[in-house]
Amino acid sequence: MASVAESGYIPASRRRRFSRRRVGQTTAPYVLLAPAVAVIGLVLAYPLYLLVKMSFQEYGIRSLFTHKGTWIGTANYARIFHDGEFWHVVLRTVLFTAACVSLTMVLGTAIALLLTRVSRFVRIALMAGLVLVWAVPVIVAVDLWRWMVDYEFGVANWTLTKLHVGNFVRHDWFANPWSGLGVFVALIVWGAIPFVTITVYAALAQVPKELLEAAAIDGAKPWSVFREVTMPLLLPIFVILTSLSIIWDFQVFQQIWVMLDARPSSDYYTMAIYAFHQSFQISEYGLGAAIAVVMVAFMFVATLVYLRQMLKTGEVY
Amino acid sequence: MSRKRLRNLGWDAIGILVLIVMVFPVYWMVTTAFKPGQKILSYTPQWFPTHPVLSNFRDAIHQQFFWDAVKNSLIVTSVVVVLSVVLAFLAALALAKFSFYGRKPFIVVILGVQMVPLAALIIPLYITMARLGEVDKLSGVIIMYLTFALPFAVWTLRGFLLGVPKELEESAMVDGATRFGAFVRILLPLLGPGLVATSLFAFILAWNEFIIAYVFLHTPEKQTLMVWLASFTTLRGTDWGPLMAGATLCALPVIVFFLLVQRRIAFGLTAGAVKG
Amino acid sequence: MAEIEFLHVGKVYGGDTLAVSDLNLKIGEGEFVVLVGPSGCGKTTALRMVAGLEEVTEGEVRIGDQIVNDLAPRDRDIAMVFQNYALYPHKTVYENLAFGLRMRKVPKEEQRRRVEEIAQKLGLSDMLRRRPGQLSGGQRQRVAMGRAIVREPKAFLMDEPLSNLDAKLRVQMRAEISRIQKTLHVTTLYVTHDQVEAMTMGDRVAVMRDGVLQQVDTPQKLYDSPANLFVASFVGSPPMNLFEATVEQGGTQLAFGETRLDLGFRSLPDYAGRRVIVGIRPEEVREASGWDGARVRGRVLLVEALGAEQIVHIQIAATPLERADLVDAAAQPPGPSLGVEDLERSVTLLGRFDRHLLLTPGEAVEVAIDPRLLHFFDLETGIALPTAAVPAVAGVAG
Repeated sequence: MASVAESGYIPASRRRRFSRRRVGQTTAPYVLLAPAVAVIGLVLAYPLYLLVKMSFQEYGIRSLFTHKGTWIGTANYARIFHDGEFWHVVLRTVLFTAACVSLTMVLGTAIALLLTRVSRFVRIALMAGLVLVWAVPVIVAVDLWRWMVDYEFGVANWTLTKLHVGNFVRHDWFANPWSGLGVFVALIVWGAIPFVTITVYAALAQVPKELLEAAAIDGAKPWSVFREVTMPLLLPIFVILTSLSIIWDFQVFQQIWVMLDARPSSDYYTMAIYAFHQSFQISEYGLGAAIAVVMVAFMFVATLVYLRQMLKTGEVY
Repeated sequence: MSRKRLRNLGWDAIGILVLIVMVFPVYWMVTTAFKPGQKILSYTPQWFPTHPVLSNFRDAIHQQFFWDAVKNSLIVTSVVVVLSVVLAFLAALALAKFSFYGRKPFIVVILGVQMVPLAALIIPLYITMARLGEVDKLSGVIIMYLTFALPFAVWTLRGFLLGVPKELEESAMVDGATRFGAFVRILLPLLGPGLVATSLFAFILAWNEFIIAYVFLHTPEKQTLMVWLASFTTLRGTDWGPLMAGATLCALPVIVFFLLVQRRIAFGLTAGAVKG
Repeated sequence: MAEIEFLHVGKVYGGDTLAVSDLNLKIGEGEFVVLVGPSGCGKTTALRMVAGLEEVTEGEVRIGDQIVNDLAPRDRDIAMVFQNYALYPHKTVYENLAFGLRMRKVPKEEQRRRVEEIAQKLGLSDMLRRRPGQLSGGQRQRVAMGRAIVREPKAFLMDEPLSNLDAKLRVQMRAEISRIQKTLHVTTLYVTHDQVEAMTMGDRVAVMRDGVLQQVDTPQKLYDSPANLFVASFVGSPPMNLFEATVEQGGTQLAFGETRLDLGFRSLPDYAGRRVIVGIRPEEVREASGWDGARVRGRVLLVEALGAEQIVHIQIAATPLERADLVDAAAQPPGPSLGVEDLERSVTLLGRFDRHLLLTPGEAVEVAIDPRLLHFFDLETGIALPTAAVPAVAGVAG
């Protein structure tokens, strides 16, 4: 009904423009927002500005105490763009993210679809299992995976040897960066699947049954029903989940950092680690900031896609 | 047996297989925590602990700074939970119940800042906090956690607030309640699940967070449990039993909470997004 | 108990959206007035202004002898039944019923006594411990009513309280609400988009459109003499048949198609030689056998058997209405059927006929139209035209 107010709690009076009620109405939302805005401004907005500023500065150990960097224009950017290692790191991060995100989305969706097929008992058990995995803190997950892939007593090596995948006795997974990064992909995908699966499953449950039935009556096979009806309806959720996953996986830091005892070899540098290394280990804070800015730029696309979808589905009017 | 039943059994079998693969790491962590040292360091894995022992847990909690870390984590987590719920609730109220200039930009900001990579911000954050003298202080960490908890909390609570028909409040007001009375008696009770989801999210964020705690808290007495757990590893090398026991202890509160309110979380997390 | 009065009341949203304009309406003490109109006509806004849920941007709303424009809802002593009932989902039926009393600090025993009495009356005694989620639609509706009644307020406001019920229950609750209102004799303002509800329940009915009050009157008056084309087309089901015709013979004869209809003892002298809109209710379209007045020739397009009677669609030669914006959108006559030649010049006339009359589609019929029962409206404004009584002499001369 069009007669329902869209303009807020009790729309402000036009007639009594200067009444106290009117003033209360207009300032109230700002007062309510103020604390949240203050905190976010302090911890996000200002540092974000500082990040960009620092990326144009020479900012070393001394600057940490004087709080002053030296303006050097785009020199930091010039340095990283001409640095072969930087491009290796970028490529590694992009490939790593692609692997993590695609595996997470495909496996997560597959398990969500599986949940709709299994019996009640299996579904409840599987859901509980997923929630359990979801609840495991990242650092704990890192420790337990590190234990599983331990070169000497790790259960992974034993199992793979017994399954005749190859001889994995005393196999050091991290000796080769490819297999080492593979472990990180597995660890991250394992940890990310529950969120994706549970969200997609919740969305699947909201697809109107009549639509699926109508498609079936119209002669669509199960796969076509999925592709023609379910997929398009779930598209918003896929867009949101994919962009979130990209954001999360692109800045991977703590898994690698903790697993490799805070001393990862340069073969394991992702952009976040590279930036961290340049800043906190070499004290080239300006350079680190420039790398971080490039990283934010990379993630910006995913952010835009996410924002658009959220604003569309979030009923923001 | 009909083909359909056979197929259903097949799905169930796959389901159980997936369950095993997903849960195994957690299972392995817990069983290792209960095994005596020589059973852990064995070339043939022992799948079921036949004689569970508690010595690993004893070792873990007697590890240096364990109780400090527990105390710090509890302080940080509880303050972050309380503050984020309160602040987010106020902001959500503004977003859901008022129309005002700048509302949409604020929503965009709220959604956008969720996307700002923490790993990129750590450098300027460190410098900002150093200027404010908040490095190596729990209060500094609390403020930062609060910021990262707020956007999600605001968004979730806004969704819940929008989900309560406004006629309920109106009806209460016609029935003689004040605006505030309608809010306390009608709106607040109905927001229960939303508040639970929000505080749970803040709890998990504050409890599990590592990078900020690791970079900002230098003094061992001031570190949180996750930093304690990570340094546990580096100091003692590969003493797997106590490490797994410590990891289990760190994960326990989150797992308990998660399992208690799992339905509400799933709802809370998807409430804003799945509607369309 | 008190009267409710709108005095030049207007409501503007966001500076330019006009929801209600210059509304003047008085609901007498104990009177049941129904505000009716298509969705978006401003009726709900008007109701909510009485409740205090919308601010009044122009004019005054009075309850009793008090101007309530700036009074908070809780201070107005009115009760409201919402379309979705607005039962508090976390409270039991008992708590829902007692809420208003609690807010008014009625003593506990008194609360209990009154809630139980109302529950008894409405047949809710067995479900006082349940929560709204466990009730059926009809039961929820009763609780919502009970919550309003138990307060013994000055007035009831009801916002489409029956629209969430199925058809059968709606008819039942319609009667029940009327009965309760008559027993309690409480001033009631009732909003609905359903003209049948309006006609059956209201002491008086106020028809609104686009924020403007069209006509207020008793249901019968509204039906018999609609003030304009909109009211004519909105009230009645099936709606009034409308088509264009030319006034001839100095205002005493109507011409449409090949038909020439003498107006008998009425005339439209001011419209002589001009076109007007002619309306006739379906039940006044009669089969022509035995009729010695003018007949209209037509062809049966469709027969809808309703059991006790039948609705017959008859195609006649006449000009359809040009100004569709003057009538209720939902009451647009069905378009000409496929295969009907000369679309521009034909109109489908709905007739409500006795069930014993055997008619088949395609059949040619003659219908009788009694000129005394015709309604006339201005082509441009849609306003109902008064007819002049024709002196007997002139009639003979014509």
